[in-house]
Amino acid sequence: MRVTVDHDRCEGHGLCTQAAPTIFSFDDDGELSNAFADADVPEDLVPAAREAADVCPVAALLNDE
Amino acid sequence: MGNAAHAPVYRRDMFSRSGIRDPYPHYAALRELGPVVWLSRQRVYALPRYTECKAVLRDDTNFISGEGVALNRLTNRLSRGTTLNSDGADHQRRRKLLAHRLTPKALRAMSEAVDAKAEAVVEAAVARRHVDGVRDVAMALPMAVVPDLVGWPEDGRENLLTWAGATFDSLGPLNRQWLRTSPAAMSMLRFSRRVVRDRSVLAGSMGDDVLRAADDGALPRSECSALMIDYLAPSLDTTISAISSALHLFATHPDQWQALRDDPSLVANALNEVVRLESPLRAFTRKAVTDTDLGGLRIPKGSRVLVVYASANRDEREWDDPDAFDITRDVNRHLGFGYGTHGCAGQGLARLESQAILRELAARVERIELTGTPTWAINNIIHRYDRLPLELVPA
Repeated sequence: MRVTVDHDRCEGHGLCTQAAPTIFSFDDDGELSNAFADADVPEDLVPAAREAADVCPVAALLNDE
Repeated sequence: MGNAAHAPVYRRDMFSRSGIRDPYPHYAALRELGPVVWLSRQRVYALPRYTECKAVLRDDTNFISGEGVALNRLTNRLSRGTTLNSDGADHQRRRKLLAHRLTPKALRAMSEAVDAKAEAVVEAAVARRHVDGVRDVAMALPMAVVPDLVGWPEDGRENLLTWAGATFDSLGPLNRQWLRTSPAAMSMLRFSRRVVRDRSVLAGSMGDDVLRAADDGALPRSECSALMIDYLAPSLDTTISAISSALHLFATHPDQWQALRDDPSLVANALNEVVRLESPLRAFTRKAVTDTDLGGLRIPKGSRVLVVYASANRDEREWDDPDAFDITRDVNRHLGFGYGTHGCAGQGLARLESQAILRELAARVERIELTGTPTWAINNIIHRYDRLPLELVPA
């Protein structure tokens, strides 16, 4: 599964960083970074990735499932 | 796929005075009837369950906001030009203009000032000990923060709360409550136009951003006053609702208060649980622009659906023991701030303010005691206490 951030929509509310801290974090500039931007999310992190996409309050995360 | 003409019908009025004071039996009855329920009084399809509410909020192509999100045509016409009432590129442009001031990142610069104000509010309240949780605790911080942020002139602040509440009333059905408060909603619109004309906003504020964007041609001058209201009106009652509901819930659930005092890092989750359980906003509408399938029925093009956030947040299909207050619950997917493209732009600010108050209280107050019968404010859309007599027992 791939998860992508729509940076036009992302406002940095950060709920994904709580749901999937190994995937999403804020860099020093406060921009959201995605550890798997260019790779498939490992199998064991898929549930967390799904939850992150589900809780994003502005629906800025897309998974390709 | 069934035709939505066969949807179950609900004939009672969830916007009557008693429905405003105690909406939850209405929501439970609606959820029980089905995923899509025809409200014969308001002539809209209500969506009382979580799944359909979220699906509609996600699908902003088929369920649009640009023809209004109110329950009546008059307000939908009057609120053209607002961020709330727009779609696609127009919405994106309006939202970007102001939302960048409201992101958690941008708010970091304000957080120390907000904490300091929260400390002062709580200190004063604890010193009084017997307080009205609404006036003395919940109102003080938003009123000290939001008007400055938006840049509303000092001399136009005494009516703000009344006007902002009336703006929410106007989004409900055209009922007696709508008629009663519409003059105040119009006053806010007129005042806002005058603020734009006289350029009386505070320098460096969000309102100032709006006027400059218009100077640069990035936005039509005619949209400025609507945008001012867009960001001011929803930032007061909503946060006041969340803080006062938190006070009431913690007063009536001392074990949860103790849990928060034992582990203050629960404050973010606790606030989300408050907003789930006592959602400040009851419901908004969307208009279907195509025939769309929802909950096993076909919603015909041109009809209006009512997204009942407050009911979705208590849907027993989505939440275990939905009426229970549990600050450790997995709650982040609640719809209390809406969801998707039109998700609350001010939620970062609302969290900042409410959490600051709760953190200060948790540090200083051992118990919150209810000392009288609380009363609810009467408003079509906003669900909040009007009076909440409390004793704050110092730690």
